[in-house]
Amino acid sequence: MSTSSVGATDQLATPPVGPAPIVGEIKHGRWGDVWRAISRNRKAVVGVLLMLVFFVLAIFPGQIAPYDPAATIFPPALGVSWHHLLGTTAYGQDIFSQVVWGTRLSLVIALAAGALATVLAVLVGVSAAYLGGVTDGVLSLITDVILVIPIFPLVIVIAAYSKSSGLGTLVIVLGALGWSYGARQLRSQTLSLRTREFLEAARVRGERPIYVILFEILPTMTSLIVASFLGAALYAVLTAAGLQFIGLGDPNSQSWGTMLYWAENNEALGAGMPLWAIAPGVCVALLGASFALLNYAFDEISSPALRVRRLERKRLRPVPELQPEHTPFEPGEQSQDVVLRVQDLSVAYATETAPVVAVDRVSFDLGNQEFLAIVGESGCGKSTLLYAIARLLGAPMAGEIIGGRVLFQGSDLVLLKDEELRPLRWRNLSVVMQSAMNALNPVLTVAEQMRDACEAHSDMSKAEIEARSREVLRLVSIDPVHLHSYPHQLSGGMRQRAMIAMALLFTPDLVIMDEPTSALDVVAQRSLMVQIKELQEQLGFAVIFVTHDMSLVSHFSDRLLVMYAGQIAELSPTEQLFTRPLHPYSRGLLDAFPSIHGEKVRLEGIPGSPPDLHHPPAGCRFAARCPLVQDRCIETEVPLVAVNGSLVRCLRHGELAK
Amino acid sequence: MRFVLRRLGFFVITLWAAVTVNFLIPRLMPGNPAVAMMARYRGHINPSALHALEIAFGINTHQSLISAYFAYLGNLARGNFGLSLTFFPDPVMQDVLKALPWTLALVGTTTILAFALGTLIGLISGWKRGGKLDGVLPPLFVITSAFPYFWLALLTIWLFSIKLGWLPQSGGYDVAGNGPSWTWSFAGEAVKYATLPALTIIITAIGGWILTMRNNMISVLTEDYVRMARAKGLPSWRIMWTYAGRNAILPNLTGFAMSLGFVVSGAILVEYVFNYPGVGWMFLQSVENQDYALMQGLFLMIVLAVLTCILAADVATALLDPRTRDLR
Amino acid sequence: MTEELLRTEGLTRYFRVGKLTRKRTLHAVDDVGFSIGRGEIVALVGESGSGKSTIARLLALLYRPTRGEIWFEGKPITRLKSRNAKLAYSGNVPMVFQDPYSSINPAYRVSHGILRGIKLHRPELSRRQQYAELDRVLDTVGLVPARDTRRRFPYELSGGQRQRVGFAQALAFRPKLIIADEPVSMLDVSIRAGVLNLMAELRAQEGVSFLYITHDVASARYLADRVLVMYAGHLVEQGPAEDVLQQPKHPYTQLLVSAVPDPRAELRLADARDVGEPPKVIDPKPGCRFRQRCPLAIARCETETPQLRELGDGRRVACHVAE
Repeated sequence: MSTSSVGATDQLATPPVGPAPIVGEIKHGRWGDVWRAISRNRKAVVGVLLMLVFFVLAIFPGQIAPYDPAATIFPPALGVSWHHLLGTTAYGQDIFSQVVWGTRLSLVIALAAGALATVLAVLVGVSAAYLGGVTDGVLSLITDVILVIPIFPLVIVIAAYSKSSGLGTLVIVLGALGWSYGARQLRSQTLSLRTREFLEAARVRGERPIYVILFEILPTMTSLIVASFLGAALYAVLTAAGLQFIGLGDPNSQSWGTMLYWAENNEALGAGMPLWAIAPGVCVALLGASFALLNYAFDEISSPALRVRRLERKRLRPVPELQPEHTPFEPGEQSQDVVLRVQDLSVAYATETAPVVAVDRVSFDLGNQEFLAIVGESGCGKSTLLYAIARLLGAPMAGEIIGGRVLFQGSDLVLLKDEELRPLRWRNLSVVMQSAMNALNPVLTVAEQMRDACEAHSDMSKAEIEARSREVLRLVSIDPVHLHSYPHQLSGGMRQRAMIAMALLFTPDLVIMDEPTSALDVVAQRSLMVQIKELQEQLGFAVIFVTHDMSLVSHFSDRLLVMYAGQIAELSPTEQLFTRPLHPYSRGLLDAFPSIHGEKVRLEGIPGSPPDLHHPPAGCRFAARCPLVQDRCIETEVPLVAVNGSLVRCLRHGELAK
Repeated sequence: MRFVLRRLGFFVITLWAAVTVNFLIPRLMPGNPAVAMMARYRGHINPSALHALEIAFGINTHQSLISAYFAYLGNLARGNFGLSLTFFPDPVMQDVLKALPWTLALVGTTTILAFALGTLIGLISGWKRGGKLDGVLPPLFVITSAFPYFWLALLTIWLFSIKLGWLPQSGGYDVAGNGPSWTWSFAGEAVKYATLPALTIIITAIGGWILTMRNNMISVLTEDYVRMARAKGLPSWRIMWTYAGRNAILPNLTGFAMSLGFVVSGAILVEYVFNYPGVGWMFLQSVENQDYALMQGLFLMIVLAVLTCILAADVATALLDPRTRDLR
Repeated sequence: MTEELLRTEGLTRYFRVGKLTRKRTLHAVDDVGFSIGRGEIVALVGESGSGKSTIARLLALLYRPTRGEIWFEGKPITRLKSRNAKLAYSGNVPMVFQDPYSSINPAYRVSHGILRGIKLHRPELSRRQQYAELDRVLDTVGLVPARDTRRRFPYELSGGQRQRVGFAQALAFRPKLIIADEPVSMLDVSIRAGVLNLMAELRAQEGVSFLYITHDVASARYLADRVLVMYAGHLVEQGPAEDVLQQPKHPYTQLLVSAVPDPRAELRLADARDVGEPPKVIDPKPGCRFRQRCPLAIARCETETPQLRELGDGRRVACHVAE
């Protein structure tokens, strides 16, 4: 799931909207999520505590403030003392009492104006996105216009003309003008929800639009609405304080802004009463800061990318030592025919609870010019394994290598630092990713993206680079005129082939591919596979090809590695795996594919789900779903054994009837 | 450049909206405030100027609202905003133009500086995610971005001017000195007086931009094309700039446009506190004096300035993002 | 011959694309006619851009057709105005969606959507009866024990389980026909069989018909009685599933079937040369839309759009050349 909508374009005349906050999985009901997020985030906790302090001051001012704030009974301009914690004003009022009493008004303004603005923002933003069409156009235009016109001068203009400057007017004016930013965000979030099928499902069910908006859309946006409210409240606090400061509020009211007004009028700073000006300002700043901190925390909630998690290696079970007898080739130095040797590679990543080992001691050798397919279902760790080999882990593919070796061209890739890896990258080892639309930089042309790879690893001249770029495009049957196109201008299949062409710029020894055909239709898939195979035979590189579709690679791969729950289940020559699978999982997978020309038999699939890798089972990980399971399978860990040129992790391998 | 044309259209619509608001508000307020103002003018100005003001405020009820509106628009197009009460008998336009260079110098440079610096810091902070810089700055700036501008202004005055006596606390230049002139020494003086206001604006404004840029950067760094750039073995700086940076800045430019309103509002207060003779200070003076003609003129000038900056940001977006050029 | 439940004729849907100055028309679905019988499973097969998803939404009344008509149990339904009439139809013809991760509202428990459906379409049931029905449908789709499942939030269920919830929602209406829009495409391979078998069971035990929309030809063969093949908005071939897929008549169907990877067969490289992609059908001229990629194209294909014609044995093909 893409985590960002950078570049997602609005319909109206507005430039690309920034990364919209993402809804993400709601895990504990609408409010449960909010609660957990707040309680785990330090900034949010500080913000909440600050707000609580102010709430207490606002609710119980009489109990906390020692004196009547308006009483001018004390000697003026006193300094700090036990009787007057913050001194007195030029009129002889106790500053501390004023500050305490001022909390109530400021908080009321903030919450009331914030609420009004949020209600308007929800109404406008969600309706505009849901109703679409002309309504959306008009509402969005109004939103954008109000957003752009500076509110503060406008409010000043209104306040200047109007006679009444009371609390009510202030709240209404602030609320009526402050909704535009929230409306914009809510609209953008609702737009992205429109493609979520549960809204279509609700319509198909026969729900009325009002019901859909109130009960299907809004509940999924709780975090965003709360964040919007906080933003509006913050803006209300600051704007109200500003207005009162310049004298447009009611000068007789008890609020922080008016305190500042009187302080400024009396030159408090210079006349030895600095606290008169500083104290209420600190309160405004702190209240504002509490809203801002909570807002910031909500940003982190809605964008999972923003949450940092450290991998706690101490909590991982120790990875056992290398066990050389698992590899089918001689241990020791690499033989001439092996281009890549992976030994006991393990990868783990941090989660909210315990760390998870996504790849558990995977070992295999890859021969020169061999085509190895790694097959598995979601969560088996195949992509993690692939990117670990290429040393490309890191957001969004979480994880760190916690053990094992990756021997390539005489070095252990696991031990090399980024700088040392760089010369190897692309020259000897290149990568093809799943979606070219996401893997190609949207702001650079194809030519520029090929050029920077060339420049980084060679000193080819511009002319040579251009010639080479044309050559690789021709290799994949793309007209070189497309060199100067941007990725979004090419069709899906063409983009995919352009990516493959780019990977071949230096005719590397090894190309790893992460489901490069998944985004394509079946006809385009097949022609791309054939093309890849031809290129491989022509240029002589090894391929590691990750896919979830075994039948796709059945005619192209030399060997097939089946992964399950982070471990190798079976590694066999392709033809052998299809005719005599050794592992019950491989067998189950094979039988799960409906055949187009063969006999029509009832498919069983493999009921159940893979184990939760937070608590992997002690014995065989497939035991819960295995038709051949016995007691001994559950008790102890099952080793990977070599059988006639294959590897299999099953105590009962070979007992599968054909 | 269909995109830019569309943005230009938005510019015109918004300007029109601001102008109309200016026209309508005095008429909508109870107890016609303009009448009181007119009384102070009478006997002091020539009939045609008086007439223009009557039109501008709809005092002369012989005209219908619609024709008054068009007459108003006509006057605006000719740059005739009426006469200022505060600086009587100067035409409003003249006063506005007198204040404009001060504001452009202060607010213009500091906003650009804050945006550029903020974006840069945010870029680096997001790139070195989890580093020392990233641990300290974002929470710090979350808090500073919540400070009211005017309070920070007061603080800096108290600290640097009153307590330490390093910098002047008021004005745009030394009123006891030689007065404004196009000399280096005056320029130096102006800079000295502008330092505290500039500091205030930068400290408060920069926080928002650092945060949005940092967050954008972090999001962009999770994109596949950044991983592809790492896979290609490109040098770090190229990944940071051309792959991550150029994509992360696009929504920041949009954010710039949206937050400009806040910065301008804050700048008004800063000028007020420092008695800095710019558009904002004059605007608040006009409010105090109930000089509605001047107030309207300045308000429109503020809106115009904001819209121009936004248009510039849109053009920059169009230049940086090829997808907007093909916007379908 | 089974009794006809749903029939379309000349079903067409266009979309406007482009901005104010240059309006163009995307022909998503053009002149499609087919029928679905009682208790029948019909597969609608096509690649992306073929229009199959648009047809699903037309049948679910999410879109109004630009032209053409749909009849359900003999009555036309596209111009239904009253809310009750539309509710009655959607109670008979619900839809199951493709993405198990976004087709259930994550903010509510699993029971929510099902109960809402029951309330809307079977208002005569008492509260206790509603809950009984909730349990019944959850049991029918294999989510046992129902008491447990209905309290869960979607995130607690696997993809396969969520899809079953989608079927439960549909079953709660006591439907006659379920439109299943790529219900297994986003599930793991090992789980797909279970859901496909569930559809077959529902047909066998509850008598529900299915319109099974998919790009996976092999699963269409496994499940369906009849197959409809779509290309670029047109229906190009239809007939009994086994016949059409083992002996395809239309050149596109032949290409499609040959491209399906079959590990047990030899690789036929001859057809692998094709690097074309389905066209985006914007303001098209008349003529066959497959002609650019067709090895059998003749002059007539350029100018005259082929119509579906009978070939006997319930088979129809839209091609000038096919026999």
